[in-house]
Amino acid sequence: MSELRKLTFGYLGLLALLALTVGSSLFDLGGFNVALNLAIAAAKAVLIAMLFMHLTGMLPRLAVAAAGLWLIILFGLTLIGR
Amino acid sequence: MSGTESIAFDTPRRERSADNFAMWVFIGSEAMLFGAIFLVFLVAHIDFGPAFAAASKHLSLPLGTFNTAVLITSSFTMALAHRLALQRRWRATVWALAATSALGTCFLVVKGIEYGKEIDEGLAPLLGLPFRYAGPDPTHAEFFFGLYFTMTSLHALHLIGGIVVIAGMVALWRSANPANRLRRVVAVGLYWHFVDIIWVFMFPVLYLINR
Repeated sequence: MSELRKLTFGYLGLLALLALTVGSSLFDLGGFNVALNLAIAAAKAVLIAMLFMHLTGMLPRLAVAAAGLWLIILFGLTLIGR
Repeated sequence: MSGTESIAFDTPRRERSADNFAMWVFIGSEAMLFGAIFLVFLVAHIDFGPAFAAASKHLSLPLGTFNTAVLITSSFTMALAHRLALQRRWRATVWALAATSALGTCFLVVKGIEYGKEIDEGLAPLLGLPFRYAGPDPTHAEFFFGLYFTMTSLHALHLIGGIVVIAGMVALWRSANPANRLRRVVAVGLYWHFVDIIWVFMFPVLYLINR
């Protein structure tokens, strides 16, 4: 698949996910709404990182993993301490 | 000419990889900043869920959705700019960059319209403006709107920064050699996509919680 087609499909996928997340908010799914919205946001973030930001190679992944680790510590310790 | 911008690198490949790594480290540090604010929001949402859900219904979902689509489109045009720069189609690259910053500006204008609406409705607890809220638990609703304005204005500041950098890059376009042009497009592109990712999380968190 050509690079341009990949970008275009990624873009259309992002718009579809946006429609899905807004659409899902019109239905009351109980506590599932929040989880679904966050899962869709994470999927969008992965799409953007892989297709648009070309997240490849050791060093960029190391930086992302380090940021992720510190975020987990930040969120984890705060929520455990409550 | 060696092909590297800085004398610190012996090959362009090394310089590219250092540039790239530095941008990702910078993005990681930005993720810490936004992560902390998201954490405050999360903890407040756990404690005052019903008040936050009621307050979130006062935001404009159509404008928020439209703005999300605008920002996703701007990321797409930024990715196109990168693609075109790789193919050394410089004129088209500049057009893609211009489209990106125009879409970013469109986002800011719509955000401004939203802010105006919220200030009119008395929902902006900032700059000493009066806070008028008819729903339940106005104290915690005020907290929600305080967080909403903090988060969205911090995001808007980042977007303004991106637009300014793109404008500067285009202004210096003629004096930059092709390798530098490409490197700058890649760097500002990474930043732009990151700011888009932040909004991708902010949108459901602020607009869609328990709607």
